[in-house]
Amino acid sequence: MNDYTVATPIETRGPIVRAVGVRKSFGDREILSGIDVEVERGEVVVLVGASGAGKTTFLRTLNRLEPIDGGEIDVNGEQIGQHANGKGRLVERSARDLARQRADIGFVFQHFNLFPHMTVLENIWHSPVRVKGEKKSEAVGYARELLARVGLADKADARPRSLSGGQQQRVAIARALAMRPALMLFDEPTSALDPEMVGEVLAVMRDLAKAGMTMIIVSHEMGFTREVADRVIVMDGGRIIESGPPAQVFTAPQHERTRQFLSKVL
Amino acid sequence: MTFDWTYFWQSLLTPSEQFLNGLALTIIISVVSMVLALVLGLVIALMGRSRFLPLRIIASLYVWVIRGTPLLVQLVIIYTGFAAVGLFRFEDADLAGVLIKGAVQASIVGLMLHESAYISEIVRSGLESVERGQNEAALSLGHTPLGAMRYIVVPQAIRIMVPPLGNSFNGLMKTTSVLSIIGVAEMFQVGSTMASSTFKVFEIYLVIAIYYLVLTTVWTVAQTAIENSLNARAGLPRAESAWKRLFGLRSRKASPAQATAETSRVLQTDDAY
Repeated sequence: MNDYTVATPIETRGPIVRAVGVRKSFGDREILSGIDVEVERGEVVVLVGASGAGKTTFLRTLNRLEPIDGGEIDVNGEQIGQHANGKGRLVERSARDLARQRADIGFVFQHFNLFPHMTVLENIWHSPVRVKGEKKSEAVGYARELLARVGLADKADARPRSLSGGQQQRVAIARALAMRPALMLFDEPTSALDPEMVGEVLAVMRDLAKAGMTMIIVSHEMGFTREVADRVIVMDGGRIIESGPPAQVFTAPQHERTRQFLSKVL
Repeated sequence: MTFDWTYFWQSLLTPSEQFLNGLALTIIISVVSMVLALVLGLVIALMGRSRFLPLRIIASLYVWVIRGTPLLVQLVIIYTGFAAVGLFRFEDADLAGVLIKGAVQASIVGLMLHESAYISEIVRSGLESVERGQNEAALSLGHTPLGAMRYIVVPQAIRIMVPPLGNSFNGLMKTTSVLSIIGVAEMFQVGSTMASSTFKVFEIYLVIAIYYLVLTTVWTVAQTAIENSLNARAGLPRAESAWKRLFGLRSRKASPAQATAETSRVLQTDDAY
C-alpha cells in the first residue's frame, strides 16, 4: 500500500513551496509580516505557535484561499494566484487558472467541510470527475480504495452527518487525496475533535507521511509533531521565529518566545 | 336568508365556460410570472453578490423601490401610466395563434417585477445560509467559483429556498385577483361581472373563494412533494405533511427545512450524535 500520490508535478526539481516575504493584513492588523519558507518534496513540516501567530492564515495563503498583500508564493514552480503579465507587472490569475493550481494542492479543514448533500463516496469521487474530467467508474474505484485506506470502506453510502468527527475528518483527507495532489495542507485537522478521535486521524496522517507525501500541517499535537515532522516551524506575531528538526526545537529552543510557548503545550 | 343553493351548486360544479377561462387565465398568469420572476430574482440576487459596486447598487435600489411600493400602483403605472405619457403601450399580440391581450402582458410583467424583488431576497438568504466552508472546500478541490456555486452551494441552498419560494407562489396566485383593476379577465374579474349581472353576490364570491382555496391546496400538496423529493435526495427526514400544514397543525419540533439550515452549523460544532 502507501502509494498515495500519482500526480506528476509540473516541476520536479527544486522546492515544492517557496514563500518569499509574504505579507497579509486584515484591515489595520498585520497578520503576516514577511514570511520566508521553502519546503522540499516529501518533507513534512509542522507549523506551531500561539493562537494569533498567523499559522492558519499562512497555510491558507499557500492555495490562495487567502490572497496576499505582498511577497510571492511559488507552488510547484508556479506563482500561485498571480503572475507577471507581458509588461512584468503582477496581475491576478484567472479563476480557471487558479482552480487548476488548487487542484494539485490538497487542503484539510479544521471543520472537515464535507458536502452534506452527497454520500461519503460521492464526496470523494465528485471533484476528480467534475474538475479533472476523470471517468466516473475509475474515480469511484479510486474513491473506494482511498476509503478503505482510511478505514471506512463500510461507510461509502453513509451521509457525512451520520459519521463521527474523526470519521468525517478521515473522509475529508480521502477526498483531498482523490485529486492526487502534489502537496497536502492540514489546518488544525484534530482541533475540532473529541480527544478519543484524535488518534485515528493522526494515524492516517502518519501513514501518509510514511508514504512520502509532502505535508504542511498546522497542529497543536506536539507528540505527533515530534514523531512525524521533518521540520518544525515556530511562528509568533506573523513571523517565523525558529525552525528546525523537532528534536532540536523541542529540546533546545533558541528563542525565548519558543520556550514560553513550549512550556505551555509540552 | 335568501341563499340560492341551486345557483351556488351549479356555479361550483358546472361553472360557465367564461368562468373556466378566467380560472385558466389565473393559473397561466401565475405560473408564467412566477417562472420569469424566478429567473429575474436569481439575476438580481447574483448582482447583489457581485464584486462590482455599481451592480450591487442597482440590485439594492431595485429591491428597495419594488418592495416599497404597492403592486396595484406598479400595475397601473406599467399599463395605464406608461401608455398615457406615450412611453410604452402594451398592444394585443399574437403568440403562435393565441391572442394575448395587452393587459395580460402588462400583468405578467408587473407580477414578475414585483415578485422578483422578494425572490431575490429569498435566493440571497438561501445562498448565505450555506456555510462559507462549503465554498472554500469546493475551491480547494479545484472547482472554479462558478463550479463551486453550481455543484456545492446551490444544491444545498435550494432545499432552504423551496419552502419560502412555495409560499411566494401561493401568495402570487391569490394576488392575481388585483389584476381585475387593469381589466384582465381572470377568475375574480369574471366572477364580479357575473355578480353584477345576477346579483347573486354572496353565492358567486363564495364559489370564487372555494376555487382559490382549491388552487392553493393543490399547490401546497405539490410543494410538499417537491420538498420531500429534495429531502430524500439529501438524506433528510420527510417534510411536514400537506394536511398538517394546511390546517396549521405543524409539529412543534423544528421543521426539516430549519433542520437543513442548521445542518452545516451542527456539522461544525458536534462530533458525535
